[in-house]
Amino acid sequence: MSATNTRRSRHTGITLSKRTGLVFVLPALILFAVFVLYPLLTALSYSFFSWTGIVRGDFSVLDNYVTLFTKLPYRDQVPNAFFHNVLLFVGAMVFQNTVGLGLAVLLHRLKRFKRFFQTIFTLPYLVSPLVVGYLWSLMLSPLFGPVNFILKAVGLDALAQPWLGNPATAIWVVVFVTAWQWVGFPVLLYGAALGGIPQEIDEAASLDGTTSWQRFREITFPLLTPAIGTVSVLTFIGAMEAFAIPYALGGSQGSPAGATDVLSLLFYRTAFESGASNAIGTSSAIATLLFVFIFGVAVFITWFMRKAERKLY
Amino acid sequence: MRRKFVTLAAFAVGSALLLSGCAPSAPAGSGSDSESADDVTLKVWSWRTEDIEKYNKIFDVYEKENPGVTVDFEAFQNTEYNQILTTGLAGSDGPDIPMVRAYGQLQPNIAAGQLEPIDGKVDGLDDIAPSVLAGAVGKDDGKTYAVPLATQTLQMFYNKDIFKENGLKVPKTWDEFIDVNETLLKNNVTPIALGAKDDWMLPIFSDIIGAGRYGGSEFEKKVLDGSATFDDPDYVASLQLVEDMKKYMTPDVVGVSYTDSQIQFTSGQAAQFPGGSFEIATFATQAPDMDLGSYQVPLPPKAVAEKPVTPAYADGNFAINSKSPNKEAAFKLLNWFATPEFGQLVADDLNQFSAVPGVDYSDKVMAEAWKNYEKSPAPYLLLVNFRYGEPLGTAVLGQQVQKMLLGQQDPAGAASTLQTGISQWFTPAK
Repeated sequence: MSATNTRRSRHTGITLSKRTGLVFVLPALILFAVFVLYPLLTALSYSFFSWTGIVRGDFSVLDNYVTLFTKLPYRDQVPNAFFHNVLLFVGAMVFQNTVGLGLAVLLHRLKRFKRFFQTIFTLPYLVSPLVVGYLWSLMLSPLFGPVNFILKAVGLDALAQPWLGNPATAIWVVVFVTAWQWVGFPVLLYGAALGGIPQEIDEAASLDGTTSWQRFREITFPLLTPAIGTVSVLTFIGAMEAFAIPYALGGSQGSPAGATDVLSLLFYRTAFESGASNAIGTSSAIATLLFVFIFGVAVFITWFMRKAERKLY
Repeated sequence: MRRKFVTLAAFAVGSALLLSGCAPSAPAGSGSDSESADDVTLKVWSWRTEDIEKYNKIFDVYEKENPGVTVDFEAFQNTEYNQILTTGLAGSDGPDIPMVRAYGQLQPNIAAGQLEPIDGKVDGLDDIAPSVLAGAVGKDDGKTYAVPLATQTLQMFYNKDIFKENGLKVPKTWDEFIDVNETLLKNNVTPIALGAKDDWMLPIFSDIIGAGRYGGSEFEKKVLDGSATFDDPDYVASLQLVEDMKKYMTPDVVGVSYTDSQIQFTSGQAAQFPGGSFEIATFATQAPDMDLGSYQVPLPPKAVAEKPVTPAYADGNFAINSKSPNKEAAFKLLNWFATPEFGQLVADDLNQFSAVPGVDYSDKVMAEAWKNYEKSPAPYLLLVNFRYGEPLGTAVLGQQVQKMLLGQQDPAGAASTLQTGISQWFTPAK
């Protein structure tokens, strides 16, 4: 019934020609071109020139890129920052696919308060990451922060660390706070995917005498592959572009001693804080490399996940 | 017919969306239509959004003295200012007189030809301290491009009440200085508040503690002409002093942010705060009842300088947009910026140290710090001379001192990393 209805409405409605359709799309396309495509291409072109302030100098081929890998401070800071981006990605993946997935499965089985808990877990995600970062930096302050105060109060003095002042712990605080803020996202996504798995399969399997862990491993988990793919790609992009939380926790320099530095911070420093006369050239090169890397890997993950899905069905 | 209508409607809706999205804000009217031929409006830009009213008051004085001139003062968010100014100077509706940064950060504007050289056209530049005026000079052509506005001095601030309670006096010798800190430590007061998590504070701290040890201006001359490097034993020794201070700070000081350290000091939890004169106004707002004083850190044994020094630097300049159509009026205003009359207004209304000499400071704390500075000034070495290339000297040392406080670096290593960093772009003048 509903199918015929849709079909009929297609004929009775206004028919759009290709050209009319294009006209509808055009404004958005122009916006996209002006605000996304054009800056992207200009950044690419800027990275091939040397600059004095905002005056473009000679075509410098790959000089700006060579600078990133041969000159101070970049040759030290680029690999250091990149390594932290990778840590962020790995940390977020582990957290989301264990804690996030676990919570989603638990919530899925929950009969009551499901919405309530979903909302609770998603709440931090609705707060600006800058605010989240500052709140955590206040909580972890060695002078006034409640975290160390509580640790000391319960006798765990050894654990009362200068969390953000010690390079060995600072980056893990960034990883944890990022994961803490975003955990609601995989909970929602996996929750939706779990809801989409027909219960009959589960029931049939349990009639065949499988344990619940077997059912999760053999049925639920494989059927979640598309959701895992989506979460992976978005987590990867988020981790590579991370800026707000590292900035709030470690400042634009990635304190302490560069331990929380990430590529976006390096870009920000180069472009807006260095005051170097070739700031535009170098920062454009960083931006271009970052974009190419994110784009390439995101395409690869998508391709890989598609392949994995095809194998399953 | 119908299709045409739909097409048209779609386009209209679409473009309305687009236009509303990127409609430029109307340019601020300068009111030139109603003015007579002699009347000029000078647009002045600044990053001091907190001082708009004060600047308007200052420019009222100028407008009264110079009929026909209207000064239109606009201020923008400090962190966005460089971008806004760069765009403004490149276009046609920029300011006539922009407030510009000093030293290295000024160079991109000069290199891009956006500013007018002012040598010989502004009186009173010769009276300004050389290390302050250097902040307005083009590194490549040696020409002066701006009139310095303010000077920031670096010194040790202290809470007079805490000193009194602990029976302490302002230290005159290094032994007394150490004694002050030891006594405070013994009495369970944190001697020094420092926000070592924010590494820009650390080169400031290093110069407050160590400039006298490495020799201030004398050492500056030697580094600039190549007869010394930062590997010099005297410079390394000055960093050693910085490391020695660690025990007088909060444990885990690298976890303490700059704002935390301000609170630590203003709430009376720490007795001393090494900082710039820009703190005076902040402290006065945060702790109006605190009895604040400042002193120069005494000379340590084997110090190169003959007396304790106050490192300082220029903060902010006024320049002229090379595209300004009102250059004559702009030069007149710039000349006024170099007079003691304006300097006094800077002191009284803006609560800043004027770059122009011959100004009186009625504020007690400011007067004390200024007296110390005038007695024996020194350059804030890394900011004044080593921010002309990448990596910035201040950024390298900031991170190295952080590592020193974490126990990951020794003073010699920090100094040598600084030397390697700046060597990438700095070549001594013979």
